[in-house]
Amino acid sequence: MFQSFRHAATWVHTWFGLVLGFVLVVVFFFGSLSVFDREIDRWAIPESRFEPQPMPSFDKVLRPVFDTMQPMKESVDAMRGKVDGPMPERFDTVRSWSAYTTHRDPVLLLWASYEVPGAQDPHDRVWGNRTIDPRSGKVFPDDQLKIGSQFFYPLHYGLTLEWQDLGAWIVGFAGLVMLVALISGVVMHRKLFREYFTFRPTRNIQRSVLDLHNMTGVLALPFHFFFAFTGLLIFAGHYFPVTHTQLEPLHELHEKIEEQQTGLPQDRAGVPAPLASVDAMVAEARRRWTAKGMAGEVGLVSANHVGDVNGYVSVWRAGTDRIANVSDGIHFKASTGEVLYEEPPLTAVGSVGNFLIGLHLQHFRHWLLRWFYVLGGLMGTVCLATGLIFFVEKRKKQHAKAGGQSRRVVDALAVSTITGMLVATMSILVANRLLPEALPSGWPPRGDMERYVFWGGWALAMIHAFVRSAPVAMDRLNPAWHEQCWAVAIMAVAAMLLNWITTGDHLLRTIGAGYWPVAGVDLSLLVTAGLAVLSARRLGRKALAAMPVPRGGTAHA
Amino acid sequence: MREVILLTAALLACTAGMGWLALAMERHWTQVHEGEATAAQVLRMRALGTLGLAAGLSLCLAADHASMAVLVWVMALAASALAVALTLTWRPSWMRVLTCFAG
Amino acid sequence: MRTNAFNRGEHVALAARILLAVLGGYACCWGVVALFAAATFALGAEFHDGETLGSILALLLYPAAFLWAFAARRLWLAGTVLVGSGALMAGTASLIQSVLT
Repeated sequence: MFQSFRHAATWVHTWFGLVLGFVLVVVFFFGSLSVFDREIDRWAIPESRFEPQPMPSFDKVLRPVFDTMQPMKESVDAMRGKVDGPMPERFDTVRSWSAYTTHRDPVLLLWASYEVPGAQDPHDRVWGNRTIDPRSGKVFPDDQLKIGSQFFYPLHYGLTLEWQDLGAWIVGFAGLVMLVALISGVVMHRKLFREYFTFRPTRNIQRSVLDLHNMTGVLALPFHFFFAFTGLLIFAGHYFPVTHTQLEPLHELHEKIEEQQTGLPQDRAGVPAPLASVDAMVAEARRRWTAKGMAGEVGLVSANHVGDVNGYVSVWRAGTDRIANVSDGIHFKASTGEVLYEEPPLTAVGSVGNFLIGLHLQHFRHWLLRWFYVLGGLMGTVCLATGLIFFVEKRKKQHAKAGGQSRRVVDALAVSTITGMLVATMSILVANRLLPEALPSGWPPRGDMERYVFWGGWALAMIHAFVRSAPVAMDRLNPAWHEQCWAVAIMAVAAMLLNWITTGDHLLRTIGAGYWPVAGVDLSLLVTAGLAVLSARRLGRKALAAMPVPRGGTAHA
Repeated sequence: MREVILLTAALLACTAGMGWLALAMERHWTQVHEGEATAAQVLRMRALGTLGLAAGLSLCLAADHASMAVLVWVMALAASALAVALTLTWRPSWMRVLTCFAG
Repeated sequence: MRTNAFNRGEHVALAARILLAVLGGYACCWGVVALFAAATFALGAEFHDGETLGSILALLLYPAAFLWAFAARRLWLAGTVLVGSGALMAGTASLIQSVLT
């Protein structure tokens, strides 16, 4: 079908790259932002702008909050179709209470799962969560969207499209195509080593865009490969649900054996028993870690089968100082506090798996590495964006004569995906500062309003891109490119100023106080604005100067 | 503070290393220096480049434990290669300092 | 390399290759995960380790299989190998499962 492997690779790279490239730009960009998701949360929720806190006392601070928790309405609604008989009003059979913190978390996220009486699948649960100030136990309003960790991050791995997990599957397929595109890209790039450091922005547009595409792709090739690969690995159980379908019986067998080996019961006994002091269990866990030469902070505390004699509490060490996520779990009998089971050292495969996943999820403390990840992610974003732009540019001249409109569509989609995405990002940040703290009753929750502004802003950018795309059919630049760059610049500065006006935390104050989460976001907004202005001016000049260009000609601006 | 110094030094070593490796290529040597490089100069640039990257790795290993250090180094290679590429594009004269070592 | 260079028959062949790459590749990967999960468990190792190892190998295999589906001279060969091996591996896994449970 294709004359050679290189030809096949080229075709696959071009066409699968084109279709999934739009998705991948979004995945890479919001992945880059997610590196500092908790810092963006601080910017978005001013009440949470204090120092990161260690895990507080379970008995004194967390228990009272857990006792009042109930599942979220969305979770209960999602279960409605899967229950025999009526849905209860209250859920009191607690499957688990959990709290997780990292070295970057001022506020603490608590979540709880409850058993559902009459559920068709007895493994199904309903979920609830709370965000608290660990210093006092004060509960934050449910309404406040953590724009970083609860929006940009889920957008990154699932496009926030939860219906039938469609978003996660799309991202998964895009991830596979990323791996394919990286391999095929290397196959296509004959001068990989000769052009390693080559970037020629003064040559014609096609050459300079292709140079940039190759540069950002090749120089960070290990990063791009590893992140696509480990991202897929994190969700592998989801994409290949072998052990819950074909090998479900084997999985059940394994769980029974594990239950016997570890002494950790799968199910409740139905016999009530109190929950002993979890603080004492945490202290014992920390003592044991120190005795092993691995003194550390608590990352995850989880109480299972609460109120039952089969209950057990798991304490896991935070992976602040290593690549692996959480580890060295110790499990205690809930009613007495005695140690039931200490997780053994990981097997070779277990260590490799943990390392690969921890590499992607990055809960470690290393600010330089974190910023390197942002750089890699942005390089990936540029690689994908320039790929799309190259596709359009290469075909513009050929098809301008033929009068084809399909290049207009691809170009408008490129604008929508690239600058449109930035417009949407700025919109939600501006909305976050402009929306009143308490919305009038009858309005959707504040967090939902912010989301609507994000998607609405993106939709507007897309409409703008299409409406302005006529010049593309005449082999000229779509003015939407530089117009949206101006919009991004203005909104970025506006967001920064609004932060100052609404919270008083201007840059001099945050830098002076060394409160880097907020200072970092504001500085990033400034840099974004600066780059957007530079781009807008350059693109604006090009668009103006782009009178009919001699065939196969060189750059005009 | 010790970490900051070590990692800064690692970054500088990697950047210099990448710079030398770039200069070992004719198209970049001629951007910075008159005339072609002799075979001996090319060899020296390659050797210095490799040394620079190796020094970068050692400094990373001195700053963090192994698994993290290797990760930092791999990312530093990407960042420094990018810096060198952009410097060669817009300010090639800044690379001249590295050619002093060419002999 | 332009698609309008393909004629109608080649469009069908292209569609077949796309399906093979996506679905055939998936089938082969499923087989890998299933076989490793079942076999390592049968050999006495940690169940999830088998799943993890299988997943790592499958995710490395998938892009290779994907490209092969397009590059292979003989489509029927690639199809047989990918789907066939997937079925074979998955079948073996189920066999192991029926012996153990």
